[in-house]
Amino acid sequence: MAKNTQNSADALVVADADELMRPTTRRNFVRVMGAGGAVVLLPGVFSACSMTPGMGATGTGATAMDGGALTFDLRSDIGIFRLVHTLEQLEAAFYTAVVGSASFGTFFNAGERELFTDLRNVEIVHREFVRTALGSQAVPDVTGSINTTTLNAILSSRDGILGAARLFEHLGVSGLNGAGKYLQDARNLLLAGKFVSVEARHAAALRDLAPPSGQSANTAFAGDDIIDMNGMDVKLEAGAALDRVAATNLVRNGAVSSRNISNAPTATQGKASANFFPTTP
Amino acid sequence: MTISHQPILDGVDPEIMDTLVTRRDAIRRGASVSSTVAAGLAMGSVPVMMAALSKDAYAQAPSAILDVLQFAFILESLENEFYKAVLGTSTNSAQNAAFAGVRAQISASAQQVFRQIQKHEQQHTDFLRGTAIPLFGGRAPSWTANDFDFTGGSGSGNGPFLQATTQLDHLLLVAQAVEDTGVRAYKGQAGRLLVNGDDRADVALESALRIHSVEARHAAKIRRLRRSMNMNDTTLRFSGYVMGGGVAAAGAGNIANPPAGAVAALGLIYGGEDNTVHTVFNGTAAVNLDAATLSGLDVIGDANARRQAAMMAFDEPLSKEQVVAIVRGFIRSDSGHALP
Repeated sequence: MAKNTQNSADALVVADADELMRPTTRRNFVRVMGAGGAVVLLPGVFSACSMTPGMGATGTGATAMDGGALTFDLRSDIGIFRLVHTLEQLEAAFYTAVVGSASFGTFFNAGERELFTDLRNVEIVHREFVRTALGSQAVPDVTGSINTTTLNAILSSRDGILGAARLFEHLGVSGLNGAGKYLQDARNLLLAGKFVSVEARHAAALRDLAPPSGQSANTAFAGDDIIDMNGMDVKLEAGAALDRVAATNLVRNGAVSSRNISNAPTATQGKASANFFPTTP
Repeated sequence: MTISHQPILDGVDPEIMDTLVTRRDAIRRGASVSSTVAAGLAMGSVPVMMAALSKDAYAQAPSAILDVLQFAFILESLENEFYKAVLGTSTNSAQNAAFAGVRAQISASAQQVFRQIQKHEQQHTDFLRGTAIPLFGGRAPSWTANDFDFTGGSGSGNGPFLQATTQLDHLLLVAQAVEDTGVRAYKGQAGRLLVNGDDRADVALESALRIHSVEARHAAKIRRLRRSMNMNDTTLRFSGYVMGGGVAAAGAGNIANPPAGAVAALGLIYGGEDNTVHTVFNGTAAVNLDAATLSGLDVIGDANARRQAAMMAFDEPLSKEQVVAIVRGFIRSDSGHALP
């Protein structure tokens, strides 16, 4: 589907959008755009944004999460997708560990293994998509920061795996449901929408497979503890979502928590609303 | 490392070019220009101006938001009345009677599933009618059970989904299709609710997103229910995903000799779900990335497995026009109601 417009008279190839700020390149940009042409950007998508007010990105791509350098500037779509990238990394790393664990075949039957393998694959696609889109603004690899003691404790039982999976999927659903209003571009909102309903499918499937204590097996997929009186799903503001990640102790030294938010969204982006999230999703 | 050679602001994106042109005309006419746009113009900075324009251009008038909410209300009413007819709780006795045959086949546990789903659809219509639509100064349109024909026959009562009133497999397929249509419809409309700095729009957008993910939960549960009854149909993923696109993604392999009208409708409902190319916008440019050919996907398997995963990983939107084309058959033509 991707069209290669290299060497075409009406295409402009740039390595990053900063090039667009240089007079010569910018003239070419205007010329090309005026002619209805295309600009080809290599290779990261969001790495372009650092020059654009309101889209200011923070954080350098190379630092480890333990270093405390991981920050989310939620005033920009980049910052919000960095947060998404962090969650997708944790989910993908978790399901990769689940599917690869020695007990996978004994804890789960064939249908359940199909489910977890699908989840692993889809979260990997999400992770790689957001990483590619973010380019140099991508969040550093989280796997080195995972607390292996916590992870192994989770992996040691079927219930541990199912409970952690439910929590992560619900953090994904609630985080995206809360963040949508802060996105500034409708195409990025659409992208977030494409993710969130998939996360909701995971969340429902996992609750259907293993209802939390006290939930009916027939209604847990969208139980009264996770759907409110208006028929609405879970939602969390970003800080609350990150603090719940920290509470899992799955990332060492609380490296991912609300303190990673360097700047909250501005009032013009959207208005915060009450969080809705059960103790045990 | 992957190098993407995607065109930016190229053909995929006629909308933004249209809105940019419209905006430019507005500027020329001396209409008010946001300070960021003005600053961008003053600085001669293309990225700044483009970024600001794109945000401005997508700003929606309340009437557009009201249109989305009223459209959503019709879809939610359709869903709600469908489940009420299935459960025998409709105010329309003829519709309760129509589904009596299949109702007897629904297990007690599946009845509980349907009741939970119907409760949510009722809550959605109540919220839209009582809170969201009035917030924008509107009134919910008046729809009753009698305005719908759940066989898809435009009021004939003899449409391509008639078998859903007598056969459980058909009924569950229709329920799944209805839910997936809801997911796709909300997804397609979300962008029209995005108005940064408008507190009321935030309410509309966040509510729509939270309803949207509930519809996805419903669809996933019905898919799992259908899989449990058709264990060999691996199109019906235990994970609740839509696998592939077009009629094949409906997972209708257990339906013998489906009517041509049903096949056509399912083709519309799942059309384009196999898309793997998605657009991201960075404030300066829109770029298309193909999720099926990213690096780092090797653990998933071969190229075909990676494409399958990429198709499942993104749910796709439907435009309002596409949704109208799907639901038109479920609306009685003589009702005096016109779809927006």
